[in-house]
Amino acid sequence: MTDQDDSTRGIARPKARGPRMLIALIVFQILCSAFFVVDIIEDFAAGDAVFSHMLPELGATLGLFVGLVFEVRALLHLLRRQAVMEKSLGVAAGALGALMEDYFRQWGLTPSEADVAAFTIKGFTIAEIAAMRGSAEGTVKTHLNAIYRKAGVQGRGQLVSVLIEDLLNAPLVPAGGPVDAGTATKV
Amino acid sequence: MSVKLRVWDPLVRVFHWALVAAFAANVFVTAPGKAAHQWVGYAVAGLIALRLVWGFVGTRHARFADFMPGPDAVLGQMTDMATGRRRVHAGHSPLGAIMIFNLLLTMAGLAVSGYAMTTLMFFGVEWVEEVHEALVVWAEISVVVHVLAVVVESRRLGVNLPKSMVTGYKTLP
Ligand code: HEM
Ligand code: HEM
Repeated sequence: MTDQDDSTRGIARPKARGPRMLIALIVFQILCSAFFVVDIIEDFAAGDAVFSHMLPELGATLGLFVGLVFEVRALLHLLRRQAVMEKSLGVAAGALGALMEDYFRQWGLTPSEADVAAFTIKGFTIAEIAAMRGSAEGTVKTHLNAIYRKAGVQGRGQLVSVLIEDLLNAPLVPAGGPVDAGTATKV
Repeated sequence: MSVKLRVWDPLVRVFHWALVAAFAANVFVTAPGKAAHQWVGYAVAGLIALRLVWGFVGTRHARFADFMPGPDAVLGQMTDMATGRRRVHAGHSPLGAIMIFNLLLTMAGLAVSGYAMTTLMFFGVEWVEEVHEALVVWAEISVVVHVLAVVVESRRLGVNLPKSMVTGYKTLP
């Protein structure tokens, strides 16, 4: 809720620390993996590799790689979410942002389609979206067709109303208590 | 409609491919520690020194100030990748710049540790040799990642980056 208040007043939101920590962790783990892999290769090259002695090392390396895959996926997810909130939504970042994310996942949108969908819901034109994404207008139209097909709607109007309906059905007063005046006027 | 941008001056291009040739020569061709190896290594030192100077007085995209990577720019490029946005950087991209500083430093480290092995002070000192060998491994990993990244970014952006390092021009789609 404070996020929403900040962005309406044009105050920059405090920089999210999430991605940075995750990137630091990923870099650290890549360095560790590189060390293990080089070590294993050298052991084999030197010919003094006893498989049973290598098992712990191989296991640790495998664990690192699996961890890396999950971290990179989490990072991409985090960056996408932030991209939607910062670039295309502003005021409605909180509730509408979360709702959109749920729907996008449910419809199985690709990252590019989700990005285009977010801009579209915000009301940008095809030409504007193409400029912001550095792609041709034809590409954006292709994405839009896929979005409407996957969402089972006819066009932009219906796409937006799917979300608005859900927002209107949601209780205006959150379980925690009444909303303060500043937020209530915006809902 | 495609746009042709002049980005790399001749010095940057000659520097790049000379560095590639010299590094490859010392890894695959010259005998470790022999005269030819040392001369090629000094050539690398010379190339890096030249590039450092050019990084301050060179043409626009050759200057370090043009591609000093900041945290926000790096996050921005990662966000572009995560959301499928295509924003082409005229000069080096932020992530590319990190790799470039890494490569420049590693090459300099190779030359310095190699030279140290020939000095009276460090002759036969084991850890200097180990540093040289560790830097070789680090450089090889970095080069593989560098080339993979160039291929991936070329495909993502639809810009032939290796070609730009040959002709000096980036053709934007
Ligand atoms: C880009 C620069 C350089 C590269 C890529 C390079 C690469 C290598 C490689 C691959 C080895 C073999 C390491 C091993 O046995 O595992 C080596 C060894 C050696 N290099 Fe370099 N080198 C460079 C610069 C230099 C310079 C400038 C000198 C000296 C002036 C030098 C002196 C030596 C010596 C003395 C050895 C032998 C070490 C040993 O016997 O184990 N290197 N270098
Ligand atoms: C020994 C191997 C290599 C080393 C040490 C190396 C090093 C470098 C360095 C230092 C730069 C920065 C150029 C500058 O601003 O001065 C660079 C850029 C670049 N390198 Fe390499 N490189 C290597 C191999 C390659 C190969 C094989 C390719 C081709 C596929 C390549 C493609 C590029 C490209 C396209 C750029 C410009 C990237 C951009 O657009 O920002 N490099 N490289």
